[in-house]
Amino acid sequence: MIKPQRINQSSMIQQLRSALGDPPPTALARSEARVKRWLAQQAPLIRWGEMNSPLGRLFVAVSDRGLCAVDFGRSEADFLARLDPLARLVKEPKAAAQTLAQLREYFSGHRSGFDLPVDLSMLTPFQRSVLDTARRIGPGQVWSYQRVAEEMGSPKSSRPVGQALARNPVPIVIPCHRVIASNGSLGGYSGGTGLPAKRWLLRLEGASL
Amino acid sequence: MAPRFEQLIERHHDELFAYLWRLLGKDRRSDAALEVEDLVQEVFMRAYENYARLRPDSNPRAWLYKIAGNCAFTKLRRVKKWREKASELGNRALTSSDSAGRAHSAARLRSLVGDLPARQQACVTLRYLQDLDYSEIAQALNCSEESARANVYQGIQRLRAMLKEKL
Repeated sequence: MIKPQRINQSSMIQQLRSALGDPPPTALARSEARVKRWLAQQAPLIRWGEMNSPLGRLFVAVSDRGLCAVDFGRSEADFLARLDPLARLVKEPKAAAQTLAQLREYFSGHRSGFDLPVDLSMLTPFQRSVLDTARRIGPGQVWSYQRVAEEMGSPKSSRPVGQALARNPVPIVIPCHRVIASNGSLGGYSGGTGLPAKRWLLRLEGASL
Repeated sequence: MAPRFEQLIERHHDELFAYLWRLLGKDRRSDAALEVEDLVQEVFMRAYENYARLRPDSNPRAWLYKIAGNCAFTKLRRVKKWREKASELGNRALTSSDSAGRAHSAARLRSLVGDLPARQQACVTLRYLQDLDYSEIAQALNCSEESARANVYQGIQRLRAMLKEKL
């Protein structure tokens, strides 16, 4: 029985802890398994793989719709943290094999373009339009941000074009590195080591800088 | 950067289950765990639907507690009358079978906590059983830190008074 003289705050909190107690471990485990089963049915699945590349460790991720992420020069944790937070992630090299094979061919100079379905569903229509335009730039060529904007029919949008390119989720495959500043400087690059990676890719493709 | 939803389940499932268990488990009926399971499922479903709208600088733990609290309070309102009846029966059974035991005290204390106003019950549980700080409690219950502190204080005072009354 709880005696009146014991009802000070700390003893009451102890009694509270013991009275309200902990749920049974079996119930906890069953509930967690149930929530995870539900998530498995609900959340989109993203499968990912990795390879060594001349630009450092390179990661790719594939959704049901196609390639949704390429990243390099970062840690695995950083790469995974950038993927859709609502999706389930599974490391599955088989699912990424086609993408990785084409990237290997590209790095060895045996491929100039990519034949892969790409999933840009996480982007806005404007961002998708910018990246679709950038895909038209052939290897060895460079366009200015201004030219991309003009090709899209929005000549005053060179700054938003630069911002959209910086958010390209699939660099190299969509060649945002082929877009440079109007004055001939490289502009920016958010992939891997930044501008050194951009310069390296353009040199690989034989662009005259 | 916001944690992945999968990580939210890994990190917070057990404490949310315990929170709901403590809020709803006044009577410790045999199906209490199943009832809490349903609620935990609902909490994560609601969280999943709204996760994209959560600001990156928000505290996801406090946010999940807020959803859990909302689910629990809805449930508590719905079953209040039924539960009061069940509680009376449960206490009577305990009195006859275990009048002097610790189980009796624990059941009675659970019952008293369950009789606190919902906000005080939540505040006391969040502070002393879930170990949330006052800033997290304020976010979870959509109130100021002062109000959270006041509710904890009042809840404890009320419990103390109720315990004295019943002894």
